[in-house]
Amino acid sequence: MSIENSKGMKKIFISLLVLFSMFSLAGYAQECNSEALLKQALKEMGNGQYIKDFKVELLKDKKDMKTGYVKFSVVLQSRSQYKFNVVDAPENPEKVIMQLYFKDKLLVSNFEKGKHYKSCQFICGKTGVYSLVFSYKGGAEGCSSAVLSLVKQFSESEMKNF
Amino acid sequence: MLKKILYISLIVGGTAFLSGCAGNSSGKSGNSDELISTDSLSTDAPLKLSEEVISDVIQNISSPVEMASLIKSTGVAFSQKILNDPNNLDKYNTSFKRALNLGVFAADLGYINTFDKNSIVISYLLAVKNLADGIKVGQFFDFAALKRLATNSNNLDSLMEISVSSFNEMDSYLREQNRSNVSSLIVAGTWIEGMYITGSVIEQTNNEELINRLGEQKDIVNILLIILENYKNDPNFTELSSYLQDLKGLYSKVKITTEFGEPKKMEKDGSLIIIQDEISHVNITPEQVKAIIAQIKKIREYIVS
Repeated sequence: MSIENSKGMKKIFISLLVLFSMFSLAGYAQECNSEALLKQALKEMGNGQYIKDFKVELLKDKKDMKTGYVKFSVVLQSRSQYKFNVVDAPENPEKVIMQLYFKDKLLVSNFEKGKHYKSCQFICGKTGVYSLVFSYKGGAEGCSSAVLSLVKQFSESEMKNF
Repeated sequence: MLKKILYISLIVGGTAFLSGCAGNSSGKSGNSDELISTDSLSTDAPLKLSEEVISDVIQNISSPVEMASLIKSTGVAFSQKILNDPNNLDKYNTSFKRALNLGVFAADLGYINTFDKNSIVISYLLAVKNLADGIKVGQFFDFAALKRLATNSNNLDSLMEISVSSFNEMDSYLREQNRSNVSSLIVAGTWIEGMYITGSVIEQTNNEELINRLGEQKDIVNILLIILENYKNDPNFTELSSYLQDLKGLYSKVKITTEFGEPKKMEKDGSLIIIQDEISHVNITPEQVKAIIAQIKKIREYIVS
């Protein structure tokens, strides 16, 4: 083997090693501490009654340029005030965007007019299956936790006063 | 020599890379022992709906929280008599019955927690743990931790969070493991028990809010039926579905109208509040309420007996 060939192989070897180290480190850095995020979200839930939590982990596959979204279905009952609060992992490049839909109609988002809200509340007028969609701006990667809680229930006459 | 090092580093690096990717996937690896299904709840039944579609539909279909909270707001006293008896556990010796009654006891637990009745909570937690063990999902219930929380009334909120969270984890696990048939039975059991408790309180109080809530469940019956009929080649599921078909028939006479208004938004204490622009109204007669409650009792009797 010539010295030039040997130098060339060395370069390839070092480049590959650096590349693999980067991939491996990136892989570990992206692991979500879901339990800690949920604990924080429960702490920030307030005085409502816990109903359900949602684990959001959006990470790119090797072939993907962007992350997509994750969707959950929830049954919400009419005349009930619900709170959705979110907690983002500190290393998230972007804050999570949460959207609530009913039959493809966007009802609520925690990202309104360029402002991010850590929580939003929804006073439901119709019992049914709603969709909760989470994503990150620009298809960024991220880990977040969200909690759904029941704040209050109203009578039919109270609903008329809104 | 250098070539050899290169190959080794390729293998090591590749392995590290792949394991990093595996760490990112949201799927949980399951212990194959936990998936053994010994009786009618085997997973080889042909599906009309995909597991993904079912899991999308059944998440959180039957949270007992809203119903229990509404019952408490009526001022009616807590009654243990209307709940299932943990002594009935010995009767449930098939996975079908265990899964259904796991749902029943979950709803009972929600009702007990809402009324802060920590003196009886342990026997219900134990029932839940036993039934969950019976269908190989007991690992999600840390009974020792739940018992510790239950012995101190200051911890009831945490107890509620942990027990509901355990149910959510178990439900996710079952769906990830393509055991949505088990999950659907738990959901059905929880929903029926919630409706049974509501019906019992309506009989005592004739509370209008509860009657409205009972009527609004019309759409939920339809969703439950879609899910259960997916497994109709199992005779147990067929029987349960036929009970719910009768309930659907009774609900068909209930009229639900929707009034459209303007959506309202406000900001309060840094939180965005949105009021939905669709408001539903239920038209249900006393006879319809009576017939629906009677059918729910019939289904509940079938489940707990």
